Amino acid sequence: MVTGNTEPRLPAVVRHLFPAFAGLPLGPLLTLSLRSLAGRQPRLFDRLGEHRTACYFIDPIDLAFAFTVVPDAERSIVRVVRKSEAATSSVQIRGPILTLLSLLDGTLDGDALFFSRIISISGRTEAVLALRNTIEDAELRPADLLGLRGALARLVDTGILGALGVVRQMADRNSRDKAPEA
Amino acid sequence: MTSGRMELVCPAGTPATLRAAVQAGADAVYCGFRDETNARNFPGLNFSAEELAEGVRFAHDHGSKVLVAINTFARVNDVGLWKKAADTAAECGANAIIAADIAVLDHVAKNHKQVRLHLSVQAAAATPEAIGFYATSFGIRRVVLPRVLSVQEIAALNRAIEVETEAFVFGGLCVMIEGRCYLSSYATGKSPNLNGVCSPPEMVSYDDEPNSTAARLSGFTIDRYEPGEPVGYPTLCKGKFKAGGKTSYLFEDPVSLNAGGMIAGLKAAGVTALKIEGRQRGKGYVTEVVRAFRKAVDAVEQGGDAIEIDRILAGQSEGSRQTAGAYSKKWR
Repeated sequence: MVTGNTEPRLPAVVRHLFPAFAGLPLGPLLTLSLRSLAGRQPRLFDRLGEHRTACYFIDPIDLAFAFTVVPDAERSIVRVVRKSEAATSSVQIRGPILTLLSLLDGTLDGDALFFSRIISISGRTEAVLALRNTIEDAELRPADLLGLRGALARLVDTGILGALGVVRQMADRNSRDKAPEA
Repeated sequence: MTSGRMELVCPAGTPATLRAAVQAGADAVYCGFRDETNARNFPGLNFSAEELAEGVRFAHDHGSKVLVAINTFARVNDVGLWKKAADTAAECGANAIIAADIAVLDHVAKNHKQVRLHLSVQAAAATPEAIGFYATSFGIRRVVLPRVLSVQEIAALNRAIEVETEAFVFGGLCVMIEGRCYLSSYATGKSPNLNGVCSPPEMVSYDDEPNSTAARLSGFTIDRYEPGEPVGYPTLCKGKFKAGGKTSYLFEDPVSLNAGGMIAGLKAAGVTALKIEGRQRGKGYVTEVVRAFRKAVDAVEQGGDAIEIDRILAGQSEGSRQTAGAYSKKWR
């Protein structure tokens, strides 16, 4: 696996807030979010076709844990797993957490990140492509995952995306400080 | 020479990309159904009938047109799927159907006279005689030109035909004459002409090896990349192979077409519409490329030039390398 050396990584102070055990509650929470999203937007999962039962291993390389996701609409399952559990999945996707989150909210282009090796994939290419195209079309915002609407949704989106922006800026500065001189 | 403003025709692989293209300034978007009737039949891509109807409404509300590509070749004794796709496109209010198969062209010409027919690049029609045949037989209103003609040849062609011409200006290039390439099928059993997919992703793998990553298609190594080196999607025509003791891109370098600097020349040659390739690309690509071409086309229409476009789009090309392709045949 190869990833870009200067791609923004999570600053150490933020990383320490997420030791391995801290991820455990995320599994049930994200499972509920995904199932609730499927209830509200069932068409979104149609785009995955047969790949909705595939098991995607998502490995944020700057976190101590990884996720497995089976995006099967209202039967979706998200689990927080050890990094060593990759072999049991159909697809493995690896990259810095901020980059992976940017893929979810559509800030960055998945093709460009893959071709420049900032993220890496292995396993069933067709399942990755189906997931990438589904996410591209979904135009997800944090409030969508939380099932919020109206003014509260706008407030939460502004808050979460603003906070992510701050973390990205911190990470950018961190990466620039460590980047070799040209 | 075109009397009106040139039309910018942009790709849409998903409804979100259709909206992005329209909002970035597309005069028309082209898209296809989620099956083998179109030449970009990749997992997770394309439109259901419901999504197409919504997309057409959105485009029309914003003053853009929707062209539906039903441009693969129907299976022997099984043209039903292609006819149904044409019927659905017409019901959804599509402005035009882009087709290459004579059976599909015939079906649209006889049953959906209100829908314009555009001859797909897959038909590889590049002579007045061939284009004249399609115009007389099926009433095609536009031909999408194969990427094998120089600007001078396009000008001569436009003087000899009665229908509009549409020319590719940006995106991936094929090495062979469109509609006649079966290279992918030799390795995978599937081809863009029949199944709508070149290098089907279920047969693509990226394998990490000591000091390199191998990109393989159906088990055949197409290219090998050093650590940190940008990778590409493995297609046989752009693979690196060993022949005569030398390793090289045997058929074609992995470069992209960028004819942004030739917009004025194409207008003078009588081209009606400029087409951007890339229905498999995401919203970021579509937004950036469409915006850049919108600006360039508007500048040319106002008598200016479009020189900035090369700089703006350098990062969007495959392998970050660009060519004007056959439009300027320097090898002659």
